[in-house]
Amino acid sequence: MTKEIRISIAILILGAISLGIYWFIPVGGSQAIATEKNIKERIFLAQYEAEVYQNIPEVKSYLKDLNIIIQSGKSILPLSNSELDKNGIKVQHLLLTDTGFIEDGKQGDKLLHNDMMRILPSIVSTLDSSTAQICKTTTCYTAEKYNFVTNATTRATVDVDNNKVLKVQRFPNMQPDISLRLKRMAQAIALNAPEVKKELGKTPAKKDMSMANVRSALKESPCEQSAHLCVAPTFADHEKEQVLWAIIDLTELKLSAAKWAGLGKTTTPACISERTLQNKFIMENYCRQDSYLDRNGWKMTYRLTGSDGLEIRDVSFNGEPVLTSAKTVDWHVSYQQKGADQLDTSGETYIAGRRVEYIVGEDNKYQFGYNDAMGCPMFSTSVVLPFNGPLIKPLKGQSGFALTQDFRNPKWPMACNYRYENRFEFYDDGSFRILAINKGRGCGINAIYRPIMRIDMAVSDEQVFSSYDNQWSVWEKENSSTAMPKNIQYPFKVTEKNTNKGYYIEPNHGQFSDQSRGDHATIYATKFNPEEGDQDLLTLGSCCDLKDDGVYRYLENKENINGENIVLWYVPRVKNDATEGSEYCWADTVLGDDGNLEVKEWPCSVGPKFVPIGLEGQ
Amino acid sequence: MKKYFPIIGSIIVVTVASYFVVTTKGKEKAKTKTVKIAPENIGKFSRQRSCARPPRFLRKSNIPQPVLIDLSQQRFKGLAMHYGKNYEKSLHPDLWGKYEHFSTYTVDEYGNLYLVPMPFISINENTFDLQKNIYKLNSETGDLEIFMHLEDVRASSNNPYGLNSIAYDCDDKTLWVSAVDESDYKNQKGVIYHIDPVNKSILDTIEGFDVLSMAIIKSEKGKYLLLGSARDNGLYSYKMNSNILDQKPKKLFSLPSANQHIRKIKIKGNNQLELQAIPFTYSLISQTEKKHRVFYNAIWIDTLRKWKLNSA
Repeated sequence: MTKEIRISIAILILGAISLGIYWFIPVGGSQAIATEKNIKERIFLAQYEAEVYQNIPEVKSYLKDLNIIIQSGKSILPLSNSELDKNGIKVQHLLLTDTGFIEDGKQGDKLLHNDMMRILPSIVSTLDSSTAQICKTTTCYTAEKYNFVTNATTRATVDVDNNKVLKVQRFPNMQPDISLRLKRMAQAIALNAPEVKKELGKTPAKKDMSMANVRSALKESPCEQSAHLCVAPTFADHEKEQVLWAIIDLTELKLSAAKWAGLGKTTTPACISERTLQNKFIMENYCRQDSYLDRNGWKMTYRLTGSDGLEIRDVSFNGEPVLTSAKTVDWHVSYQQKGADQLDTSGETYIAGRRVEYIVGEDNKYQFGYNDAMGCPMFSTSVVLPFNGPLIKPLKGQSGFALTQDFRNPKWPMACNYRYENRFEFYDDGSFRILAINKGRGCGINAIYRPIMRIDMAVSDEQVFSSYDNQWSVWEKENSSTAMPKNIQYPFKVTEKNTNKGYYIEPNHGQFSDQSRGDHATIYATKFNPEEGDQDLLTLGSCCDLKDDGVYRYLENKENINGENIVLWYVPRVKNDATEGSEYCWADTVLGDDGNLEVKEWPCSVGPKFVPIGLEGQ
Repeated sequence: MKKYFPIIGSIIVVTVASYFVVTTKGKEKAKTKTVKIAPENIGKFSRQRSCARPPRFLRKSNIPQPVLIDLSQQRFKGLAMHYGKNYEKSLHPDLWGKYEHFSTYTVDEYGNLYLVPMPFISINENTFDLQKNIYKLNSETGDLEIFMHLEDVRASSNNPYGLNSIAYDCDDKTLWVSAVDESDYKNQKGVIYHIDPVNKSILDTIEGFDVLSMAIIKSEKGKYLLLGSARDNGLYSYKMNSNILDQKPKKLFSLPSANQHIRKIKIKGNNQLELQAIPFTYSLISQTEKKHRVFYNAIWIDTLRKWKLNSA
């Protein structure tokens, strides 16, 4: 071997060793740190209901099969044979008639929607010692079904050789891996979701989507709001190093929420869940910043407050100032009971974790209840949380639009859980209405609800408040009134001091075609004081003292209000009703014909209308 | 010249191979942006004998041990104690409900209970002021009183929480207390106070971390202050060197769900912690939903140098 060849071999060996070292040593030294590109999370909430998805072939065929099963008196939608092997088919046949396996498929005489999710050869980790012993010598299969109504999983172990069910276990509030059919349906919903198309800027194809993490998504990303079965398909954009997570609710068959995030570790399914997404979305878009609305001549700013619900500010119509601020600061919830003499007030009483207050009244009756604040989901004193952000909706049968915000306790409509809506309706003629809507369900019957509305008019810096009783009387001092007879359409008005420019106030007696039974309200007029609710107000007054709405404290000094900046407080008083056929301020959960739960609601809407003076004859 | 061809050829081969290796590795690097950080390791630990003793007034009042301390706010406002068979008997003098609701407590070697407050559902006019105080249940008398008032703690409607967790250090007889009142949605401005209970003085403050729960632990590597984060789902640790904390807390591990924040830390046994987690969002709803409380056993597997989490 010549000297040159030896040199050549040495060069090749040294080169190979150097390249090997270079390949295997991490760049940046041994203490590598996370270098994930910092991608800002962007969240969006679903804007469309389940109806949008019902014509997708996968969904349509699933609903059709489910309907056939329920109509035939069965509760479990079986797996198709294409998802099963020969033993699986045998096991499914056995389990669909096994009383132990199917016994949670009924509630009274109503069938509950169940899906068989998977049937596979048993794995040791799912077997207890006695079953494992049997399965050592025989062929065992494990089957799992999911009950969509009770949010429970049933697991059965079957001895296939002897055609015998060895064990049935139920796991409340647990969700299994989903069937291939549900996976395909989730993919179809994700591919057809209008929000996903908009975010991706194109109609996505199946190849763009990944469902590899179905198991993790199921285990750690339930739709917490309602304990629904959810999965999270993803759409990766490798160029921008970001991924779109879409949470699909397989109980309601719709997109629930979604977020854009980086491709790194922080985007594991554990980090996305419906509540987390809603909290972040609402905080960043409606709590930490104002939103602006310009429509049909109306302009305004709106935001979610810490405890005073949805607030509108600086409202104008065709350039004329209308409102400085309007909001519902509190809901006072009070229940009336008989038996005040039996009442033990020596200690505190709690209902569903809420401390209740007692007020003893006449005729051996007493009131008890609490105050509910609505507001931002984080860094706030609210106990009834916003669902989705504020929405702008067209009005039915009228020209105009509504700005509305839904607030719910997470477990609504279960007992002692509440749902409220803050709603502002703006009409094209310059009139507007401020509404507080209660959708139940509360702790029981005999409830009296009092929403406390604060309305700061912007008619002028020098305002006059007048009430009508055969003639208009100007209020000189801070005062209140309950005199709102039905035969007087406009019992109050707010005007500019030296002109008659302003608004009539039309209390609700049920004339607004919203099934309302009237406001039965008290109106208060006070002089503007920034400390009296211009910022967030904490819980105001007693929940249960029906003689005090909490606003009297602002009337104590009886200040002059003639020609001052006036704030109106409007406090309706609504009684709920759970009597079948005349429900009001009530909600209930019933089993539908398809074996799934349906929520029925009977809302009560209260709140006055403000009509520009001069329009009353139109 | 021909005789140099093998050398030239080998140089060309190495050069071309180098080009491919460098460009391929560059592409791989671009694809893999995240490199796992090695978990912080506090080493093996065991359950230490606590210096805490039962309050002395219980013996004077002929109340038998064991006594269950109840801060659940479900039946009693403030503090209550249950004792007797199945804890059916309750002790709840009016004074124990005077300062509204409590988050957690710690006990010293004399049987004094130190408590920190908590806002709960309805906000009253003095609720925010009550969040500034450390409370003490006197071991001898059973009287509940304001022990220390930290004026710079300012709970508000934008964050109703003030002082929120507490731990007693049996070695140097000091208190560690945390507050989260200054934090907002974007900024973590929590403060940990190191307090001398004898002189009622603040020995030190550590800023910039929102604590929801704390516990002191001794391991083979030293003494640590364990912290459950109010901000995320992590368990963190501060190394305590002569009771001066490290610069920054180090993350030990995260719970599986982003919504779970560690509210209680208990050293259950050798290398084992018991953790209670809740969905905490700095609003009042978090404390009310019992079904959302999740328990975990966190076990340090020393041979693998990693933590294992089990649902408890």
